[in-house]
Amino acid sequence: MKNVVYRELEGNSLGFYGLLGISAILVALGLFAAYNMEHHGHAISGMTNQIVWGMPHIFAIFLILAASGVLNVASIGSVFRKTFYSPLGRLSALLAITLLVGGLSILVLDLGRPDRLLVAMTTYNFKSIFAWNIYLYNGFLVIVAVYLWFMMEQRMQRYYPVAGLVAFIWRLILTTGTGSIFGFLVAREAYDTAIMAPLFIALSLSLGLATFILILLIDCTETHCPLGEGILHRPKKLLGIFVAAAFYFVLAYHLTNLYITERHGIEYFILVGGGIYTLLFWGGYLLAGTLLPLILIYHPQLNQCRKNITLAALLVLIGGFSLLYVIIIGGQAYPLDIFPGMEVTASGFFDNSPVHLYIPSHWEIMLGIGGIAISILLTTLALKILPFYRPV
Amino acid sequence: MANTPHYAMVIDLNTCVGCNACMAACAMENQTPVWKNQWRTYVHDMEIGKEGGEVRRRFLPRLCNHCDNPPCMSVCPTGATHKLDNGIVLVDDSLCMGCRACAMACPYDARLDMTNDDLEQGKGFYGELLHREHPSVDKCSFCAHRVMKGLKPACVETCVGFSRQFGDLNDPNDPVAKIVESGVAKPLMAHLGTRPNVYYISDLERAT
Repeated sequence: MKNVVYRELEGNSLGFYGLLGISAILVALGLFAAYNMEHHGHAISGMTNQIVWGMPHIFAIFLILAASGVLNVASIGSVFRKTFYSPLGRLSALLAITLLVGGLSILVLDLGRPDRLLVAMTTYNFKSIFAWNIYLYNGFLVIVAVYLWFMMEQRMQRYYPVAGLVAFIWRLILTTGTGSIFGFLVAREAYDTAIMAPLFIALSLSLGLATFILILLIDCTETHCPLGEGILHRPKKLLGIFVAAAFYFVLAYHLTNLYITERHGIEYFILVGGGIYTLLFWGGYLLAGTLLPLILIYHPQLNQCRKNITLAALLVLIGGFSLLYVIIIGGQAYPLDIFPGMEVTASGFFDNSPVHLYIPSHWEIMLGIGGIAISILLTTLALKILPFYRPV
Repeated sequence: MANTPHYAMVIDLNTCVGCNACMAACAMENQTPVWKNQWRTYVHDMEIGKEGGEVRRRFLPRLCNHCDNPPCMSVCPTGATHKLDNGIVLVDDSLCMGCRACAMACPYDARLDMTNDDLEQGKGFYGELLHREHPSVDKCSFCAHRVMKGLKPACVETCVGFSRQFGDLNDPNDPVAKIVESGVAKPLMAHLGTRPNVYYISDLERAT
């Protein structure tokens, strides 16, 4: 590692200030949306008593999963001792922090009462997976911050592998906690299954690595640094494995549901007759987010091109977002079976609707994009202030 | 614990006339945001049966089921949703932070959003009588404040057809306990293991 150079981003270019400016505007728009939804309630959003969690939650969970998964690169270096990845560990840890802060910001700002955040930090119901997640998320931020410090501080280098191991274990628990939010929900047929935890872990690994590859490419384009082919080609193979792993769990989830007769309804809804959810599952997740990236990554002619790797990473993110939309919104849109064995042929209330409608409002999308902008803003500022690996 | 009451409600669907008086009484008693059509209790007007077969129009009053094993309480991160010894599940609006995890977990769609905007509108709607101070993810309280004074919930008090009955399951002489014990009244979605405390005397026939 003699030739590894760490230095700050110069940050004098138009692109740098442009990114900062656009991010700041998007953050402001996100805060404006949060203010409106907090004051007027979720009645102004697309969320209802039936679709309780909407677009902001998809953005938030997307960022939280990516935050956990983006630490892959640091973990490979410190836990699995692949020194090739070690120089990238700092950026990996930084992104884990900034993505998580972005995701949590959305969740906090989407709360009906963000002023009550202090209550959430001081009053706990330990039967609640949400209460556990508060510990897991805050703990992750602290652990990764320490991990990053150990990586950057020469005197603490000897503790760096231990910190890496703790961070690695913690992020697996964290993603288990996020998946279990849905796994523990008995009320909805689409959830209430233990496979949600490993599915979310696999999804976080693929989303995180795809995010890392894209940000590495953007960073090096901005700084005109030469990016060796190895630095892209090794992670690309790993990305393929993670995409395949996520697909395995999605497959197992649906096959299990298809085996359970009472869940045929929800499976038919997602896989065949669910409109936008069916389209997003087959087109967004399976075709665009799984099959195409796997072809781009493993086809011997296609996988030599940097643009194709970039495209594959981008498609993995699109696929992951689509899958989260299907899981989170689709799972709620499918109505509860209040009268097993009966058919409600007409009703004056929402029971009448075979599917609960959900149209995301511009407020929700503004808040979600605001969360991503928070992550970008924090990352850009950190790259300017702190020294990170620059290939020379 | 034998002396502690265990409150439950029985709703006889044969005598519910769909007059919605319970909704009105509940709204006035608990100052819910009726201007956006959100209620703690709601009377569903439905036609139930197989298409082409016998279809019957019936009314189904719905409310929080005050489950013995409430999934909304398990998921609540701050403990705002809590259960009294007498079985009533309440929301402490000073602890509720509006995450809506309870609404996600509730299989009975019993939750409603009480927002800052609703409190503002409430001032105009309920005037100086408005006693709600904090926004929260609201739900039926079985009118716990009335029950503690020995009164019945407002919806029971006002029910035109005496469809709603409220009583103590731990009192073997209570009519509600007798009905539940007889097995004639059934809860909704019992298979989920939530052990609800709202029971229905059904007028429905299982479709063939």
